[in-house]
Amino acid sequence: MIEPRMDVILGLSAVLFGIGVFGFLARRNIILMLISVEIMLNAVNLSLVGFSRHLDDPLARGQILALFVIAVAAAEVGVGLGLIIALNRNKPGAGVDELTKLKW
Amino acid sequence: MFFTPQAAFYYMAAASVASAILAVTRKNPVHSMLWVLALFMHVAGIFLLLGAEFLAAVQVIVYAGAILVFYLFVLMLLDLPGEVARPRFGPHWPFAVAGGLSLAALAWLAQVETISPAHAEVATSATVEISDVGWSLFGAFALPFEITSLILLAAIVGAVVLAKRRPTAS
Repeated sequence: MIEPRMDVILGLSAVLFGIGVFGFLARRNIILMLISVEIMLNAVNLSLVGFSRHLDDPLARGQILALFVIAVAAAEVGVGLGLIIALNRNKPGAGVDELTKLKW
Repeated sequence: MFFTPQAAFYYMAAASVASAILAVTRKNPVHSMLWVLALFMHVAGIFLLLGAEFLAAVQVIVYAGAILVFYLFVLMLLDLPGEVARPRFGPHWPFAVAGGLSLAALAWLAQVETISPAHAEVATSATVEISDVGWSLFGAFALPFEITSLILLAAIVGAVVLAKRRPTAS
């Protein structure tokens, strides 16, 4: 059985990470910017699982770290979406272009 | 044989890249979310091919089942009717393309430098099983696991405090 090669997995991870960076920088909707962060986290999880398999780690440390990344992503989503709801109460709409109160 | 693990991997890789590109370029935010759902499912399939069954299940249950539903919930709670008519990208989007391309190229160069093609084959004999993940999680990594629960508790309290409606103090 031929397994997927490590360089292909890392290349896929790099491409997905680049797409996430583009989405975060280019989108003007604050929720879609957060979703782009999720795409980046998924790319990193992919490379972690690939390394765990590549090194054949008996402790499966790559998988454990990916699990912690998922847990912290869940925490980030909770706080981030709470912030967005609080923000939306003061200034309706989800565009980041109108949020210029901290700009001098 | 047509359905080899290799073919399945390349299908999932191509589908995940395509759905990620569609997710960041669709105008309607709900369509973007659904493409992200497709991306998460395909990444879970790649996890399965790599022998990480537990993580594939967590990916589907937590990411696709909980986190994405939470996003959709807030998206529909905010109710953005004019979102489709607005420009989806800022005027600086070529710089965003350059930033994404340069970071992807950086990661690509790093792996070309470190992973020589002779060592690129993933270990064929999968000796790590799902029970090993459990032993590792509750054995060597029990303390970080408990700290994760504290992080999640802090996030729950923070989300409630942030989203609570305060009486206006003016």
